[in-house]
Amino acid sequence: MLTFIGLGLYDERSITVEGREALRSADRVFAEFYTSRLVGADVDDLEAAHGVDVEVRDREGVERDPEPILTAAETGDAAFLTAGDTMISTTHADLRLRAESRGIDTRVIHGVTAQSAASSLTGLQNYRFGKAVTLPFPYAHGGDDVPSSVRETIEANRERGLHTVVYLDIKVGTGPSGPDPDHEEYMTADYAAGLLADGWRDELAVVVARAGSPDPVVAADRLSALAEREFGDPLHTLVIPGDLHHVEAEALVGLAGAPESILEE
Amino acid sequence: MGRRKKIVQECERLMDNPEHIRNIAIAAHVDHGKTTLSDNLLAGAGMISQDTAGEQLAMDTKEDEQERGITIDAANVSMTHEYEDTNHLINLIDTPGHVDFGGDVTRAMRAVDGALVVVDAVEGAMPQTETVLRQALREGVKPTLFINKVDRLISELQEGPQEMQERLLSVIADVNELIRGMAENMDDIPEDWTVSVEDGTVGFGSALYKWGVSMPSMQRTGMDFGDIMELEQNDKRDELHERTPLSTVVLDMVCEHFPNPVDAQPRRVPRIWRGDPDSTLAEGMQLVDEDGEVVFMVTDISMDPHAGEIATGRVFSGTLEKGQELYVSGTAGKNRIQSVGLFMGSEREEVEHVPAGNIASVTGLRDAIAGSTVSSVEMTPFESIEHISEPVITKSVEAQSMDDLPKLIETLQQVAKEDPTIQIEINEDTGEHLISGQGELHLEVITQRIRDNQGIPVITGEPIVVFREQPQEASREVEGQSPNRHNKFYLTVEPMAQDIVDAIQLGEVSMDMPELERREALQEAGMDKDTSQNVEDIHRTNILIDDTKGIQHLNETMELVLEGLQEALDDGPLAAEPVQGSLFRLHDAKLHEDTIHRGPAQVIPAVRDAVHRALIDGEVRLLEPIQDVRIDVPSEHMGAASGEIQGRRGRVDDMYQEGDLMVVEGIAPVEEMIGFSSDIRSATEGRASWNTENAGFRVLVDNLQREKIMEIRERKGMKLELPSSIDYI
Repeated sequence: MLTFIGLGLYDERSITVEGREALRSADRVFAEFYTSRLVGADVDDLEAAHGVDVEVRDREGVERDPEPILTAAETGDAAFLTAGDTMISTTHADLRLRAESRGIDTRVIHGVTAQSAASSLTGLQNYRFGKAVTLPFPYAHGGDDVPSSVRETIEANRERGLHTVVYLDIKVGTGPSGPDPDHEEYMTADYAAGLLADGWRDELAVVVARAGSPDPVVAADRLSALAEREFGDPLHTLVIPGDLHHVEAEALVGLAGAPESILEE
Repeated sequence: MGRRKKIVQECERLMDNPEHIRNIAIAAHVDHGKTTLSDNLLAGAGMISQDTAGEQLAMDTKEDEQERGITIDAANVSMTHEYEDTNHLINLIDTPGHVDFGGDVTRAMRAVDGALVVVDAVEGAMPQTETVLRQALREGVKPTLFINKVDRLISELQEGPQEMQERLLSVIADVNELIRGMAENMDDIPEDWTVSVEDGTVGFGSALYKWGVSMPSMQRTGMDFGDIMELEQNDKRDELHERTPLSTVVLDMVCEHFPNPVDAQPRRVPRIWRGDPDSTLAEGMQLVDEDGEVVFMVTDISMDPHAGEIATGRVFSGTLEKGQELYVSGTAGKNRIQSVGLFMGSEREEVEHVPAGNIASVTGLRDAIAGSTVSSVEMTPFESIEHISEPVITKSVEAQSMDDLPKLIETLQQVAKEDPTIQIEINEDTGEHLISGQGELHLEVITQRIRDNQGIPVITGEPIVVFREQPQEASREVEGQSPNRHNKFYLTVEPMAQDIVDAIQLGEVSMDMPELERREALQEAGMDKDTSQNVEDIHRTNILIDDTKGIQHLNETMELVLEGLQEALDDGPLAAEPVQGSLFRLHDAKLHEDTIHRGPAQVIPAVRDAVHRALIDGEVRLLEPIQDVRIDVPSEHMGAASGEIQGRRGRVDDMYQEGDLMVVEGIAPVEEMIGFSSDIRSATEGRASWNTENAGFRVLVDNLQREKIMEIRERKGMKLELPSSIDYI
């Protein structure tokens, strides 16, 4: 049996109760943190809180060499952990398909993801979101600005009046000059706002920082203004609103400190 | 004031008058006497003593050159010569004749407008004669001919006037046939560039005994061939030299028949520069405008123990002066000129300025390499100086002491800067660096210089041959998948037509040129129109065609696709040797919605995978470098000589008599030719002379493929197991 368990947003306690039970009863526990990580807990905290040994796999060890995970799942109960939900963003559907095709039973236990936090903390309605994008570090996509596909996705969403969740790049184990085991870099919302203000347009945007933690920050303003602020520890997400429903506009002013002028637009 | 100082002053005075400047190179097959001839010219111009000319080899300034008795680096010298009552400034470059140093010859040709081709009267036109002629004509450089060692025909071979005349005429006819064949495809060379005695574009003589004749000189001195033969036969060579000195004959020929920069640049500039022909830059170069923007093409980089790095080259426009801040092509920012000078043999003389039309040597251009375009405004660089032969032999170099490592790396980088036909691979992890070059001698000279000149004790490995990989047939469409399996690329490969490969190697087609021009050049080389419009990349001699239409996000991903392609082509699937002569087509691609899931970690391996799969499906095989071999040997040793070729997996193509010698011609793999010189010497009791020339790569015979592949893989520390899909080897 291979159980995919989402750890949720922040620390060792963000997991669901169902997930915790499945995790504690697994024979072997694997995890990947190259997609995202729990900011409020490290692997030791996880191990201590749940009384398990966690084997962390890097990208290579999941994508190119999933054999140890599959073998463990064939012979016993294996759990595979990621921050957030295992099937959102870096979809591990591929790993699940490989397991199924070998006759291994699989199961998914959901976790709370940034996508849901982006909607619930900002008051922007989940019905009104379009395609999501990731804003990569300039060095990671070979250009020196915002990739055109990012701009195009936001534009296409806005044409239809839809909001866009902009995930911010995370680089773990790979730096500007190639593989580097010590490298750990999280794009901050102010940096991202600056990139977009220069490489796209200076529009209204909402920062969501440390969703799921005891002190989340939600801040709405023009990109150029957000670029001047600091939002503290990672992880950060950015939302570019499309057309605002009147309740959404009120929420941005009331909950995220957006300029009142947006109520009149 | 010393004589030398006077010459420098006179040169400086003449520099400003382009009509009276001649920039020339002396080029020839190895040992046909270029350097001895250059010495004659120097002596004639009063720069070295007449007594030592011919023995001094003033142009062979490096110790190893004098030891080996050959020229290794192209050497520059400026001199003056009075012709028809006008003093002329002659900037001369002596070039190496040994095939391993062909890169120096090509670079020298860029700097000059005329090439004095020297041919040995006894040996006649040899393979390198053809090569230097081609190098000259390709650069739009006009040739004249000097037939050397005529004294040997008279004194040694005891030829009569009739015999001698026939021999000389046949040498001229051979050279002209070469020129005609090459000029045929060059419509921008307007006049007939064949040489003739009547026109005065052919000279004869003996560089060793310092005499020479030409039609104009015979008219002037009243000496005919009969007089010359008589004096030579009676050993009155000094008198011969006095009455008809070689330097006068040759320098007169240079002044009369070689174009000055004002005549030459309008023709040459379009041939070597692809910038806008109507721009002021183009005008400045065509008019040799000393007040125009500075345009300086670096053709040589050398080290001077006092002055540091010296960049020598041709000033096409403007005037070089100390303190100028100039752009160097291919680098960001500017370099500041620290000094400007002329080369006078082994020494450099600083001068105030060097105007357009001259060959200058400057210091301060720290970013320049041989081939850089240096200019006062940013501009399209000159055509790269392509030397057609790629490196075929590699040697590892290691510092004996770890302390020398930084110095060794610096020296290796310097070596690569000075000689672009050398390739350096620096491996800081193992400390074992690789130098690749044109031949055994080339590498030996380089490593010896590191040892002697830099004083770095090094350990060098055995020379290793460089291999290539190439598909033998068209592949089916293959799929390459990214590690996350969200991205897929669909490719085919086919062997590329040789004409297109040649066009790439000659620099006629490159990604640096404007798209329209590239398209036309590819179509001219035989590529169909549709294909030529979709060229996405040219890497080594391989091309990628993008046959996809309207795939979302592909544009944004293309950089990574090319990175994957290039990695895969640098390390082929068989033995991680470079892939050559392949035409890839990208037919389709499936990409993840989000950039992060189609980043470098996904796309590069996917494309690399697809490229290798396509190559394997196209039955990629290992290619080895081969050489044309020509051996001149007395008939009693002919069997031994041809045996030396056949015993080296070679093939004898032709054997024929030439004079009193037999000529054996054939081809053999470079790998087997390592150590050839000592073997052929002992096989023929030292009576053979031979010449080898790199002749590209050829598929290694089937029964050696697997063995050789494994040998290379083992050397490189790769898995000793081929992918199971390689079942045809």
